[in-house]
Amino acid sequence: MNSDSIAFHGTLQQLLEKVESGEMIPKLQASHAPMCKFFTAYYVISGIRHVVPLVHGPTGCPLYMSDFVRTRECCEIRGVPLEPTACTTLDESNVIYGGEGKLLEAVKEAYAKYHPDLIVILSCCCSGIIGDDVESIAREAEKQVGCRVLALKSEGFGGDFRSGYEDAFKLIMELMEPPKTTMKQTINILGARWGPSPTEFNWDLDEIERLLKEIGIKINAVIAGGCTVEQLRHAREVELNASWCYDWGQKLGDLMQERFGIPYSKTGQPYGYAATKEWLLGVATPLGLEKEALAVVERETREVEPDLAYLKQALEGKTAIIEVSEFPGPIRALSLARMAQEFGAHPVVINVHPYTIKERMPSIKYIIGTGLNPEIILTKGLFHLGSFRSSKETEDELEAIVATYDNPIFFGNSGRFPPCPVVNLTLMNPAFQPHYGFKGIKNIAALVRQALEHKDLPRSRLFRGMLYGTGTK
Amino acid sequence: MEPGQSKPAGEAGVPAPDKCTDPYLRCAFNGAAQTALGVAGSALLAHSPQGCDYLVNNAFASQECDYMETMTLCTKLCVDEIVHGGEDVLARTIREAKDLPISALFVISSCGPEIVGDDITAVCGELQPEVKFRLVPIPCPGFRGSQYDGIDIALDVMLKRLVKAGTQKVPGSVCLVAPHANANPTWVADLDWVKQVLSRMGIPVVATLTHRTPLAEIENVASAEASILLSHDAGQKAVDYLSATYGIEQVCTGIPLPIGMTNTKRWLSALGERFGAEKTAESMVAEGERMVTATCRRKWPMARFLYRTPAAIVADATVGIPLVRFVTEEMEMTPELVCLYTSQRPARDLLAGELKSLGLRPRVVFGTDVYQTKKNLAEIRPRVIFGSTIERHASEGLGASYVVEVVRMMRQFRMINREYFGYTGILNLFECVQNEWTMAWRSKEKRYEAKW
Repeated sequence: MNSDSIAFHGTLQQLLEKVESGEMIPKLQASHAPMCKFFTAYYVISGIRHVVPLVHGPTGCPLYMSDFVRTRECCEIRGVPLEPTACTTLDESNVIYGGEGKLLEAVKEAYAKYHPDLIVILSCCCSGIIGDDVESIAREAEKQVGCRVLALKSEGFGGDFRSGYEDAFKLIMELMEPPKTTMKQTINILGARWGPSPTEFNWDLDEIERLLKEIGIKINAVIAGGCTVEQLRHAREVELNASWCYDWGQKLGDLMQERFGIPYSKTGQPYGYAATKEWLLGVATPLGLEKEALAVVERETREVEPDLAYLKQALEGKTAIIEVSEFPGPIRALSLARMAQEFGAHPVVINVHPYTIKERMPSIKYIIGTGLNPEIILTKGLFHLGSFRSSKETEDELEAIVATYDNPIFFGNSGRFPPCPVVNLTLMNPAFQPHYGFKGIKNIAALVRQALEHKDLPRSRLFRGMLYGTGTK
Repeated sequence: MEPGQSKPAGEAGVPAPDKCTDPYLRCAFNGAAQTALGVAGSALLAHSPQGCDYLVNNAFASQECDYMETMTLCTKLCVDEIVHGGEDVLARTIREAKDLPISALFVISSCGPEIVGDDITAVCGELQPEVKFRLVPIPCPGFRGSQYDGIDIALDVMLKRLVKAGTQKVPGSVCLVAPHANANPTWVADLDWVKQVLSRMGIPVVATLTHRTPLAEIENVASAEASILLSHDAGQKAVDYLSATYGIEQVCTGIPLPIGMTNTKRWLSALGERFGAEKTAESMVAEGERMVTATCRRKWPMARFLYRTPAAIVADATVGIPLVRFVTEEMEMTPELVCLYTSQRPARDLLAGELKSLGLRPRVVFGTDVYQTKKNLAEIRPRVIFGSTIERHASEGLGASYVVEVVRMMRQFRMINREYFGYTGILNLFECVQNEWTMAWRSKEKRYEAKW
């Protein structure tokens, strides 16, 4: 391996230590710009039905929201009716004199126009800097309209993308009323949101819901993936909270456990057999449904036995080079590493950005605590200025790294061209969804089969040239 | 209501509608980014928190930039820079970019740094000697207006900072202004059509403001004799500035852009008249009309069946105003609602003139937002809507048979750019209607299952 191109090579634990100590945070100001706090807060809020997310800012902030969250993701893909992306359209005059009066009127107007069950004021950079007191306005406005009005300080500069999610989930807790009863064998699924990042497709949720139903577990609310305000009011009446991704639900799960005493099933993403079984038992056991869950697992396992056998035979003794680059986040990469390990491969996770490790510190620590500590390689291209240069360099580095391992297999997406079989785990191909649960095992086995049986078929010169220029190999 | 007048603001029980809007248009920062990214061989540095970088990405796509050629950077401002100022971070980021092989770096500031008083002009001035490329600061926070205001602001900066005075005029030449202020999602094809027309008429194009425009072209824009504004939404200020400062005369004024037979004929004729190319214009009109007619005879557009079908047009002024005549004359439909994203006086006057000339009295809403559009669609109940994916969903349950997505499409995608301008543009619009017509006829469910 060419050490000139390696920025880090070690274990996840060692990387975590370097990130914690500040050694591995990129110094280039211009590199790697994930979403701001406002965006991620919006995704969570927009996952509540009949809500008006009222953006207190200029019209640029709702751009992504109206085009991609509301129109493309919600209306076109998720079957959601057209919902408002309301905005106070702050102008220069408001910036100078303040926009609180306008905001109060806007809340009243939003209620009159849209008849929502909930209005959430989202502040952005402008309103945050000029000091508009959105929380006081929300309290005042709530007296004048017929629904709850909440405010979220979500200025883009005010935190990273993670803080947006977490603050929004925390805000949602205000809607949860003291329990009047306990809904037996019922759970909430935490950590969802309706955003343009397709890391949580309906198919994965459908698979989880299918398996839970088989066991006899009911779902009160998917928070916030299309839940109603009414479901949120009753959210404290469930017996257990769970999440399909430990990371996204973690904060809300911990808070609900701490504040309301509702236990939270801490399990990772259900990729592969072991994680799926662990996920289902993690939910079913505290509800007293362990026997039923084991029966479902046994039945489902029979269905996928040929696939499990194939995955073991196909991956045993291989080096699984894992890269999640299209929606870069370490949690999915680590879930895939666990799955690869389960089927006998040696996982090597490549190019998880230290920034994303920093943002997910609690979850990473938890995952390490479960015993997963894979080999990690970060290459220098990851830290270079400019998306093309970075992308081209990381491709060249990936190809070089793969060549140094015996019997490698690449788990990533088809935008990479390493000299080994490529398992196309893109989230952008509905032909092989879901990836979660037992149906996911079938799909992943099919993808591995495609990769191995057709490894000698030519790769696209066209797409390679498009991504990396025609000067590449 | 008189033609060209807007619907009275507000309704019974609803407060004045300017406090809570659901806008179609993006902010000034986005418009400035669209304009800067139209300069070839340059890079853009957003002096902003990282969220604003997504507005840059949107502009990048709109200008069809190639990520192998054009780089976008962001200072990713956080609380520290908002409290203590972000000028140091800006300077550091410019220094990081100093080896880029570019002719200009456009530095655009967003709301946060503008409110806290970062002086990007001073920082750029200070660092200019350290870098080989031009540093062009464009203070353009989102709160300064819509994306169209941003286009005007960025054009103003470019013209005042980059244009060289005293250049020799190129006889019979033009510069093209604001081609990107156009809601045709593949507006580049409209620009290409204009350039082909000009080439055939022998009219040299000195500069395009902006699309894949080398910096040298912008510097040289004063050598143009005339300007052509390619938008009814933005760019008029730039055209006026060019006229006042460099004596560049605006041509093709007071007529809609060339969408549809009549508009195209008028536009070509005006151009031919100004540049002494009347004969060429006449033959282009004759050839074009013959081609469209012959093509329709061979393809039989289903648009012909929409005679006197009540229609709504929801678009920007650039596409929306010319579409009124096209829908009325070529497709023989009855526009009963026209909702335009913008409300500038020239656009109002132009539409009023068109409606009067056609004898139409539709309801007109200027500066519409999604709420106003939906309410008006519910009240007017048109059978056909020319608009965007938003109107497709906004009109659910309102009885519209066809929603023809001609602007801001989310679902339909074009790999090949298609113009609305000119004669092929007519066929492209017919094709949009045809596909929607076909979809409306497609069975949504099977009446029984086959046995095999």
